[in-house]
Amino acid sequence: MRGQDVFLDGINMTYPNGFTAVHETDLTINAGEFFSILGPSGCGKTTILRMISGFLDPTAGAISIGGVRMNGIGPNHRPTALIFQNLALFPLMPVWENVAFGLEARGVPKARRRKRAEELLELVALYGQADKMPTELSGGQRQRVAVARALAVEPAVLLLDEPLSALDLKLRQHMRAELKEIQRKTSVTFIYITHDQGEALAMSDRVAVMNEGRIEQVATADEIYNRPQTPFTATFVGEQNVFTGKVTLAVGNEVAVETSQGTLYGVNRNDLAVGDEALVMVRPERIGLLNGEAGDPEKMAQLNTLSARLQRRDLEGALINLYLSAGENDIHVNMHNTGDNTAFEDEMKLAFRHRDTVIMRPGSIARDRA
Amino acid sequence: MGDLVRSYGKGLTAIFVGFVVLWILLMIVVPQITMIDRAFTYQDRGGETAMLAVEIDRAYAKRFQLEQQVQQAQNAADADTGLSAPSIGTPSIGAPSATAPSAGGLPQPSASAAADGQDDVEALEAEIAELTAQIRELEAQEDLSSGEAGMKAEYSLRNFTTMSGIHFQIFVMTLLYAFCVTILSFLICYPVAFVIATTTNRNRLALMMLGLVIPYAINELLRIFSWIMILEKNGILNSVLNFIGIVDIDAGEGIRFVASNGAVFTVMVYAYVLFMVFPIYNTIDTLDKNQIEAARDLGASAWKIHTRVVIPHAKPGIAVGSIMTFMLSAGSIAVPEIVGRGLHPDWFSQLIYRRFFEADAWNQGSAYSLALLVACIVFIFATMAIFKVGIRDIAR
Repeated sequence: MRGQDVFLDGINMTYPNGFTAVHETDLTINAGEFFSILGPSGCGKTTILRMISGFLDPTAGAISIGGVRMNGIGPNHRPTALIFQNLALFPLMPVWENVAFGLEARGVPKARRRKRAEELLELVALYGQADKMPTELSGGQRQRVAVARALAVEPAVLLLDEPLSALDLKLRQHMRAELKEIQRKTSVTFIYITHDQGEALAMSDRVAVMNEGRIEQVATADEIYNRPQTPFTATFVGEQNVFTGKVTLAVGNEVAVETSQGTLYGVNRNDLAVGDEALVMVRPERIGLLNGEAGDPEKMAQLNTLSARLQRRDLEGALINLYLSAGENDIHVNMHNTGDNTAFEDEMKLAFRHRDTVIMRPGSIARDRA
Repeated sequence: MGDLVRSYGKGLTAIFVGFVVLWILLMIVVPQITMIDRAFTYQDRGGETAMLAVEIDRAYAKRFQLEQQVQQAQNAADADTGLSAPSIGTPSIGAPSATAPSAGGLPQPSASAAADGQDDVEALEAEIAELTAQIRELEAQEDLSSGEAGMKAEYSLRNFTTMSGIHFQIFVMTLLYAFCVTILSFLICYPVAFVIATTTNRNRLALMMLGLVIPYAINELLRIFSWIMILEKNGILNSVLNFIGIVDIDAGEGIRFVASNGAVFTVMVYAYVLFMVFPIYNTIDTLDKNQIEAARDLGASAWKIHTRVVIPHAKPGIAVGSIMTFMLSAGSIAVPEIVGRGLHPDWFSQLIYRRFFEADAWNQGSAYSLALLVACIVFIFATMAIFKVGIRDIAR
């Protein structure tokens, strides 16, 4: 098995009823890469997946896999295999026939199918389950059968449509590691669709964040989390405290924004100029309590500060979540549970570094994620 | 039972159970036992005895006819009293059967005065008395002859074993034909059911459903006759062929479509299509459509997708549809009677009808019916075994 690259050239998908699921998009996915497309439901990520797998033909643009143009070629003739969200195992066939179905479709003789199915079941740690029915397996085992079934046809590109969403948290975390391991062993290109940022960040070599039919940003997981380029990426991946205001000063990479919390300084991501509307964002874990630094002017010069009132404190084991309010803004802070910080005063002084503060041009923001 | 009492109270439950028991007894147990009893009761109807029986039947029929005439004449007389110009129509009893030897002597009550009517009635009553005497004589003769033959009714298998070669052939052919109809229906219905079940467009789905159901709002006989209109020698199909120029109706070249296996099969498939479509549609509808896509994605051809994924899933529906279609077509009498017109080889159901009502051999008719019933039950179990479908799956 050898992964191949996938190249989307200006593809667009508009349904007959006029709804555009995917706006013109260019995307290159490298051979042998674990690539995730991350976005809320309805953002068009599944449409892209279905276009790559061949169930949908793009309204415009071209798709090529391994340098071969794929437009007009049906899903049964593409070097891709799709793992469905509900897995879509064949319930009336035993496990090994499920795994070998792709080979059966290609007319491979039964003895060789059986042998190959057992090899693949071994790869996904299901050896000895070949003659069971899918319904006799646990959720994680069924998941692995689906992977083995897809790998049986030796695809160059494996497409995964939120395959872990039906599993419980522990199993999901375990399967992430397994999928990553299988990808490493087989070096097949994985394209993984998910709305779960944890999955995308943990497994992927690169992540594309999508919103409303457009790709917002394509980058490595670290890049996406630490240096988001758009307000949507910033707010969809991880959490952000968001303030709005107007730019009052722009010097090099730094800008000052006048907000209801006073002037906040941060990194200028979108080349904002004086007078522009701006969003100021800072992650909950980058905010701390102001204490020792208060007397040190040099350190204070690097910090934004604001005072807030504690509304609620939730202990989450290793983390402590503080929910505060400062005027019209709700502020979320989380900090490590050191064992000493169990009591908090009602009125608090918060501080966060300028370099952890991101200033962006207003745009769509991901809200109310569960 | 406990649930029923809890939900509906004792009174209502008693009524429900009572009705069910009554229904089972009256509609199922008693008729079936009578039928089976008759089927295994052999009555020797050798030559002369059979002739006698037919003659007795005819005499009874004739007497009934005469009695009706008397009744009518009397009614007319009652209505006429006081009227000088009676305006009675002709008697509405059909023309007397040609077998009646006294047919020519029938009175004509039309335009007769009340007094004439009185005479007629007397003449008729005389005739009835004569017939009654004749019947008594014939019956005595019959008792004597069956007594002589030593043939009292007795339990035996002879009603079955005496089935003639031709009748047995018809029996086998009927089962074979019904099987053909079932296969044909399946071949037509499976694609239809699949298309309907996989349609995502709701409007189109509603239209297709409507198209399927509307013909069934029409009486079955009308549906059959509409096919006659199409298949008749001067019918629509031949007119179309005439228009195209393939045949020339004026020259008498029309093709005789009716009274052929093709016509009977066509009409029967049309008559029972719905019983095949809906069970299959219902099962395919429950199939996770992702499985079809998954199979396609794994490289399966359309044939493979259907034989390995869709049909195995639809098995219970196919079994139910096949059983219903087979039972209905094996027992169908209207279609072979109307479309076949006696020119097409008989169906067993027609034979049963004639055993009962024309040959006056009720016991043999019962035996034939029982044979058909058993064959159908065997078919049901065979189908269930072949499709590995249990009663539970069917009840789904």
